[in-house]
Amino acid sequence: MTTLDNGTNSTPAPTLPAKPAVSMFAIGTAIGAILLTIITAISVGFSLGEIISNFGRKNSVVEGLLNPDWGQIWSRRSRSAFIETLQLAVLGTATGATVALPLALWSTTFGNPNRALRTLVRSFNNVIRSIPDLLWALLFVTAVGIGALSGLLALFFFSIAVTTKLTSDTLDGIDMGPIEAANASGASLTQMLRSAVVPQILPSYTSFVLYNFELNLRASAVLGLVGAGGIGARIEFFRGRGDWEKLWGLVVMFFLVVFIVERISVTLRRRLI
Amino acid sequence: MVDSKLRMNLMPTPPHGVELPKKPLATFRWVTTALAVALVWWSATGLDAKWSRLLEAPADMWTLGRVMFNSMEVSKIPELLSAMWESIAIAWLGTIIAAIFAVPLSFLAAENLVGKPVAWMTRQVFNLLRAIPEIILALAFIPIFGLRPMAGVLAIGVGSIGTLGKLFYEIIEGINKGPLEAADAVGASRLQRLRWGVLPQVTPEITSFLLYRFEVNIRASAVLGLVGAGGIGSDLAEALKFKDFGTAGLGLIIVVLGTICVDTISGAVRRRIVSGKKTMLDVDQEASLRVGPMSMGI
Repeated sequence: MTTLDNGTNSTPAPTLPAKPAVSMFAIGTAIGAILLTIITAISVGFSLGEIISNFGRKNSVVEGLLNPDWGQIWSRRSRSAFIETLQLAVLGTATGATVALPLALWSTTFGNPNRALRTLVRSFNNVIRSIPDLLWALLFVTAVGIGALSGLLALFFFSIAVTTKLTSDTLDGIDMGPIEAANASGASLTQMLRSAVVPQILPSYTSFVLYNFELNLRASAVLGLVGAGGIGARIEFFRGRGDWEKLWGLVVMFFLVVFIVERISVTLRRRLI
Repeated sequence: MVDSKLRMNLMPTPPHGVELPKKPLATFRWVTTALAVALVWWSATGLDAKWSRLLEAPADMWTLGRVMFNSMEVSKIPELLSAMWESIAIAWLGTIIAAIFAVPLSFLAAENLVGKPVAWMTRQVFNLLRAIPEIILALAFIPIFGLRPMAGVLAIGVGSIGTLGKLFYEIIEGINKGPLEAADAVGASRLQRLRWGVLPQVTPEITSFLLYRFEVNIRASAVLGLVGAGGIGSDLAEALKFKDFGTAGLGLIIVVLGTICVDTISGAVRRRIVSGKKTMLDVDQEASLRVGPMSMGI
């Protein structure tokens, strides 16, 4: 400020502005982060030397990665597991996203005027969101049994969590004008949501669903590790046998497909928004 | 029905002689919708699931929940809490390792700092790393490091480089050009240019996204234990395997509460970092607090 005043006056003594003091908050955060890093490093027994020495040693995992067995994905069993993974991802996304839309709408002040109910919906969303995909799978495998159905249920809840969260974030920023207009013309709650809210968020919502599908595709690859169907079961099988060449071949091929699907989905999403 | 009635109510009738413009034919929308419906149909009919079990599933879940809550033992809590702490530690260290690699790499992926070919190549590395789930990485690290948290730390670390790198270069590409030009004008070297032209602009957002990724990674590290890479997942998987449902239920509650707890703390710090003390630019930066879809990268 002082330099600016000097500039307008004719006094030609250019003094540098005083350096702003580093905020206490920044210092606190930095110290906190460093302390946390040290404490966590001690509690997991982190050592850089171990990483270097372990990677330096010859091991079958890295060797398998260096010459993977590409043909694996074409074998009959791997192919059907792969198709199952794809179907799981599609169904999980479709069902989960359908439920997510009302859940997101009901967690807003305009979509759910009843405060107690709104808190209930919000806490439900929070709890669902804090359980990771694989944990859902493990729970359903325990309760419902091994197989694709458990995987589907796991992806269903996982999709609810992701799509609800993203959609409610969008709902926070919508234009309130149409809502007021709908309310002024005497629309019921459902009519108001249908005609004033949903059209506003539909493009973003569709894009979130597509994004969710990408996530589900990736997630459904690992569901099989706990017995919930899909290609993960094959991965687990090869891991159990220590067949790393085949495992890596399968993994690499699968993620090549995921990569392609993702490109398509990203292109679609870009068109939507 | 509601829909058409409402439209009639809301739409003003045009004055006589004036024609409303025709609705554009949404070919793209219809084609993609039809494709999506076909895909869902194919999956629903093709999936070999025991559909009959679906009706029993809620009852099964209810039974599982009841068994869990009825057989909880308070004495298990300290053990589970320390396992949850291990999960948090794995997530934090993994995030730090990822940041150490992602920050410099993201400079190489920003088109406003390096040439297009370099940026493109770095981005492909990010895309590749982003595609692989942490669990798969953990599977690979376990034979190398044994059934210990180190395998989990590295899985989280390597798995987060891609997402963090992508977010970071997007932030860098959005910076204000002014400081860069100023740095060039006074003859700054490449490194000085980064230090004074770029870093001050991106630090708040990068820190905020780092914390966000830490929140995501806690969920990931909680399940890494299912394959034996340390943390609370190992306890959960073991408890469920040996039908020790009480411990499993307790572990589940601790995972949910622990995650929500860390989310709340980290969220508060993030908000403070991004909105700061309401200085200039705050309108611009608050927008970035609303985390976009790509950053949900789980």
